[in-house]
Amino acid sequence: MLRFIVRRLLQLIPTLGGLSILLFVWLQRLPGGPEYALLPDDATAEQRAALRRSLGLDEPLAVQYLTFLRRIVQGDLGTSLQTSRPVLDEFFLRFPATFELAVTAMLIAVTLGLPLGYLAARKRGTVLDFAAVGGSLLGICTPVFFLAFILKVVFAENLGLFPSAFRLSPGLSRTDITGFVVLDGLMTREWDVVTDALAHLVLPGLALASIPLAVITRMTRASVLEVMGEDYVRTANAKGLHRTTVRTRHVLRNALLPVVTAVGLLAGSLFAGAVLTESVFAFPGIGSFVYAATQTRDYPVLTGFILLIATMYVFINLLVDISYSLLDPRVRAQ
Amino acid sequence: MPTTPSPNPAEPGTTGTEEKVPFHQRKAAKVDRLAELMGDRGDDGHGAGIWREAFQRMRRSPMAITGAVIVALFVLIALFSPLIAPYSPTSQAWGNEVFPNRNEFVGPRGENWMGLDHLGRDMFSRMVIGARQTLLVGVVATLVGFLFGAVLGGTAGACSVLGGRWGRQVDNVVMRIIDMMLAMPTLLLAVTVAALVGPSLTTVMIAVGIAQIPIFARLLRGAMISQGNREYVLAAQALGVRKRKIALTHILPNSMGPVIVQSTLTLATAIIDAAALSYLGLGNPDASFPEWGTMLSEAQRFLSSAPSLAVYPALGIIITALGFTLLGEALREALDPKLRK
Repeated sequence: MLRFIVRRLLQLIPTLGGLSILLFVWLQRLPGGPEYALLPDDATAEQRAALRRSLGLDEPLAVQYLTFLRRIVQGDLGTSLQTSRPVLDEFFLRFPATFELAVTAMLIAVTLGLPLGYLAARKRGTVLDFAAVGGSLLGICTPVFFLAFILKVVFAENLGLFPSAFRLSPGLSRTDITGFVVLDGLMTREWDVVTDALAHLVLPGLALASIPLAVITRMTRASVLEVMGEDYVRTANAKGLHRTTVRTRHVLRNALLPVVTAVGLLAGSLFAGAVLTESVFAFPGIGSFVYAATQTRDYPVLTGFILLIATMYVFINLLVDISYSLLDPRVRAQ
Repeated sequence: MPTTPSPNPAEPGTTGTEEKVPFHQRKAAKVDRLAELMGDRGDDGHGAGIWREAFQRMRRSPMAITGAVIVALFVLIALFSPLIAPYSPTSQAWGNEVFPNRNEFVGPRGENWMGLDHLGRDMFSRMVIGARQTLLVGVVATLVGFLFGAVLGGTAGACSVLGGRWGRQVDNVVMRIIDMMLAMPTLLLAVTVAALVGPSLTTVMIAVGIAQIPIFARLLRGAMISQGNREYVLAAQALGVRKRKIALTHILPNSMGPVIVQSTLTLATAIIDAAALSYLGLGNPDASFPEWGTMLSEAQRFLSSAPSLAVYPALGIIITALGFTLLGEALREALDPKLRK
């Protein structure tokens, strides 16, 4: 098991190295480099050249790449053009908010999607099955930002059931320990903060959960259907095993394998989906900051965040592979 | 268990329904002959057989028919939109009847079938002309992903199957690049490309397309490698057929199934992603130009007072995406014997 993890970790090195090259080349290829973004339009050619020199843009590409890489490894991803603060600080400042949102969305998607997909497969051809399949198709085809807007208008503005923006109601004081509002509230036993923060997570969480929920439901359904048709399930039934044993040990355990992979991949994409959801709900996380960066062409933030999110994505994939090998001994043997 | 006997009665059932519909038989025979003619163009009968079978299966699937009808309608509207639209989509002819700041909007009426938008433009005309833009974005984005993905994946697959040790090295390098691209979430990739290049409709098409490249590449490579283990490839090699010919005329046509399915599904995601990019302000900077994504994000300001302004473009996007998804899923089911139960 340890060897498997170490081998997978070593495989990450070329992927991450390549990713950095890709981003570097990408930055090089930009039409109108930072000297156009940073300086006013009427700046002279000498001013631009001076800025290029001061940014080290006149050095050979290989040297520039090595400088770029050294700075990344040291945790220096540049400074945000919007806030003049280090990109890494901006990321960690906003990470807890998006993490809370992503966890909420994933919890909603998994707790609803798994049972729904399983029941749809068991009751194949019934109204429930039809509703689950139709609903998940609809969920995939609905633009997330539109769904977020509908949720906001209906449940926040018209019915007033949930707050429509931010992580906490204004005027509510909280003790900041970890940056995770819910966790902080639990630690300091400020129950009003906990409930308020949770209420703020419901609507954006639902909007963000729509696509993972649809995908998980469909994958679980397809996977359970496939496994239920396998010979070993018939054998287990014929042996006279208890129905519950067959369903949990034979059907579910095997059916969940592809679902675990999907959950992992979806978890990574949640950070991208957060760009849309967070901007609708003015949720102060990574997503709304990326949105602001696209509006102002804040290149350091864009490249830095994409590198960080991609790194996270790669590590989530690693975790998926590890959990996969725990669930399926055959993977370990390869 | 109620599950185990289900596959068995299903098979006689399907052949039964085929016999029960003599009504369509003449038409069906005509379509079949067409499929046969098209199939005969392939170098070997094997691939054509799969497609003909899939086509026949799809004709019986309500999912495929619904999807095909939606897609056909959408394409027709998009192609003939200038003839269908009664008014100019940008003319604010009824601008004096709509007052967004006083919440006064004009709903559907004889003159304007879908009412007026917030600037007094005919909503129906904007929807119809917008369909053309949406189709264009979807098709171009899918083509970008398909072409680049197919070249990358096809090269990797062919090298891996036929290139020996050297080929597997090439495959390895190409796949590492693909894995890196896969490591970036598609929407974020598209957002970054669009933000770097600057907002325009072309940007949206390219950004959405680039995000699809790794998916196409992986699919084609996987299919080609699994085809490469088949006997017919071995036979062709034994007969001394040139490697390039084996790759292009033997393996490639037989590996296109998953890629074509994915193209249909990608059309749906491309339309949705393009709408998202438009919403993020990375689409066409000219907001007067009718495009469903831009219209939807514009209309969101009036969602509580005039919901229909947002609902029309939203429904347009959802129904079109649903059409392509249904068609793609039905095609996948028809081509994949494992899903057919």
